[in-house]
Amino acid sequence: MRDPRLSRHADLLVGYCTAVQPGDYVVIFGNHVVRPLAREVYRAALAAGGNPEVLLLDRYLDEVKLKYGDEAQLDWASPTLAMVMDKADVLINIRGETNPSQFANTDSARQARAHAADRPAIERYFKRIAAGELRWTITRYPTQAGAQTAEMSLYEYEDFVFGGCLLDEPDPQAAWLDLRRRQQRIVDWLAGKSMVVVKGDGVDLSLSIEGRKFINSDGRTNMPSGEVFTSPVEDSLNGRIRFSYPSYQAGRIIDGIELTFKDGRVVEASADRGGEFLKSQLDIDEGARIIAEFAIGTNYAISRVTGDTLFDEKVGGSIHLALGQGFPQAGGTNKSILHWDMVTDMRNDSRITVDGELLYENGKFVI
Amino acid sequence: MRDPRLAKLAELLVNYSNEVKPGDWSLIMGELVTLPLLRELYRAVLEAGGYPEIVLSDPESGLLRVQLGNDEQLNWVSPLQEMALDKADVLFRVLGTDNTRRLSSADPSKLSTMRAAARPMFENYIKRASTGDLRWVIARFPTEANAQEAEMSLMEYEDFVFQACMVDEEDPVAAWRQVQADQDKIVAWLEGKKKLVAKGPHLDLQMSIADRPFINCRGDDNMPDGEVFTSPVEGSVEGWIRFSYPSLEGGRKVEGAELIIKEGQVVEAKADKGEDYLLSQLDTDEGARRIGEFAIGTNYGIQRATGDALFDEKIGGSVHMAIGHGVPEAGGTNTSSIHWDMVTDMRDGGQIWVDDELLYENGKFAIL
Repeated sequence: MRDPRLSRHADLLVGYCTAVQPGDYVVIFGNHVVRPLAREVYRAALAAGGNPEVLLLDRYLDEVKLKYGDEAQLDWASPTLAMVMDKADVLINIRGETNPSQFANTDSARQARAHAADRPAIERYFKRIAAGELRWTITRYPTQAGAQTAEMSLYEYEDFVFGGCLLDEPDPQAAWLDLRRRQQRIVDWLAGKSMVVVKGDGVDLSLSIEGRKFINSDGRTNMPSGEVFTSPVEDSLNGRIRFSYPSYQAGRIIDGIELTFKDGRVVEASADRGGEFLKSQLDIDEGARIIAEFAIGTNYAISRVTGDTLFDEKVGGSIHLALGQGFPQAGGTNKSILHWDMVTDMRNDSRITVDGELLYENGKFVI
Repeated sequence: MRDPRLAKLAELLVNYSNEVKPGDWSLIMGELVTLPLLRELYRAVLEAGGYPEIVLSDPESGLLRVQLGNDEQLNWVSPLQEMALDKADVLFRVLGTDNTRRLSSADPSKLSTMRAAARPMFENYIKRASTGDLRWVIARFPTEANAQEAEMSLMEYEDFVFQACMVDEEDPVAAWRQVQADQDKIVAWLEGKKKLVAKGPHLDLQMSIADRPFINCRGDDNMPDGEVFTSPVEGSVEGWIRFSYPSLEGGRKVEGAELIIKEGQVVEAKADKGEDYLLSQLDTDEGARRIGEFAIGTNYGIQRATGDALFDEKIGGSVHMAIGHGVPEAGGTNTSSIHWDMVTDMRDGGQIWVDDELLYENGKFAIL
């Protein structure tokens, strides 16, 4: 029997997350291993009157290109990707891998070069999102490889993924609307404030949010979500942070990341594992070293990290920072091909104060 | 171990059929189940200096559109496919499925609607192919489902497919160049001729081929290949044909199809199996009842029909006719969103006469 949560998942993506309308060109995007969910989304999009199309990817080919492609081939930008970013009304990106270690041994400079080729398409994507021309969401389909990364059985991991998306709730959409209301109180409280100080285990940061907006991430663009975030004033961040959770980026595990910021810019970076890759990413372009995001995770249905930022950054009781591309809708101005979220636990001996008032303590909001 | 014939097939398709050059945007299209060949193609295109990209299709999703789509959704054309067929320099279409009968209960009129909607895109593709803007080839990856359809084991079917493509030969490219040379003689002999008569136990047809060139199919557009064909003068085809081989078109089996043709138009049609589908396809559009192609198969490495037009129409000792879209390179002018090839055996007493000279008898060319 098909898992009934799959069709609830699809209904949520099409109905709540992207509100597909009749005539919408809906592109469903993912590794071929995510087919079971892609088909349910296709069905739900059809039922909503949209024109869905499934774009299945094969990561093996990316690897072949990274290993054997010449420079012109690495610099080549796919017209298909450009067209999709330019024409789609709705983009539903389904994560899920066959092997997250696929790119563990590929040359990171070549990888960065191949990424840079798609930059115009990615910029177009962000621009159309900002203009409200493109609705998008990212979600995850539970695969064996994902379960392995999370150190779970597939069965446990399915429960984890679907649980994080609140699909066990009698009415998942109502549950997300409820989370939206709770987060709105936090966002309203933060409006007009300026100075944020974060202190905790391995964290000592100060930043300005003056004139910047906190965004209520209510599960529409990320499924699951549960965070409030902003792009801090770019040159205001100072201090240091050691991220307690490992970060998975482009198929690599980077663990024990430590960053020192001066005036919003990373001036020192190290990691216990993957330090070289971290440094190569920081040099990918001019904007890659600049602070792009400060956020607080609020999804208490997710209580542990599993190696996917989409879930890890939502952990109820965590905060995260991102480097690279900022969010124009939050007032962010920084530009980069990179947007790398890094997460740290705040449940022990940690606090966030804003303009001298306590906002958050040991993983919970006090307001 | 990977089957070494797969890499040889990919190299043949990239370097011989499509002659990929540095800088060519090369689209590689197929179902997920054909991935092993798609990956070899991707690698071979990269080695040739091209820009490969794969488009994986999921036929289960496609079927959902047929089943659940409203009129607007059935008439929708993918902007992605449209753009790809308009812009790509090179196209590899790899056939092969995990279920040949997936569409068995799909409504044929809805399939026709979808095909009609795709017609401008299809015409653009034909046009770009005829002007040489787009180099394309259709090939097949052997799957269990297609082996089942061919009534063979997978191992037998792999041998069948790879032999027909001559990738079991030491030098497949040289083997295909020999096919080209043999067929050149036939095409040259036919040049300037006017009237063609084909008769035998399964057919009695006449048609004009005046000013219609025969095309030498040497493995550049189809792999396997081995046929010479033309688009006969549209209004000139007269007579009767019964197709001795079943046809599997759009996932439907049509057996024992019989057509009566007057002034180039199918005026009567019946079939032992799949007659409803045959009739619905003839009504797809105005051009669907006209004859788009007449051809002679020359691949004697293919000795049996497997329900796959790509192979069946090449059978050494067979002829085929297509209803629907004509081929502009051969002077064809008919337009339709269908192009349906149906094949009949000529080895049991078939003859082809051209301007009263015997060209072909019992499945062999008399002039070679």
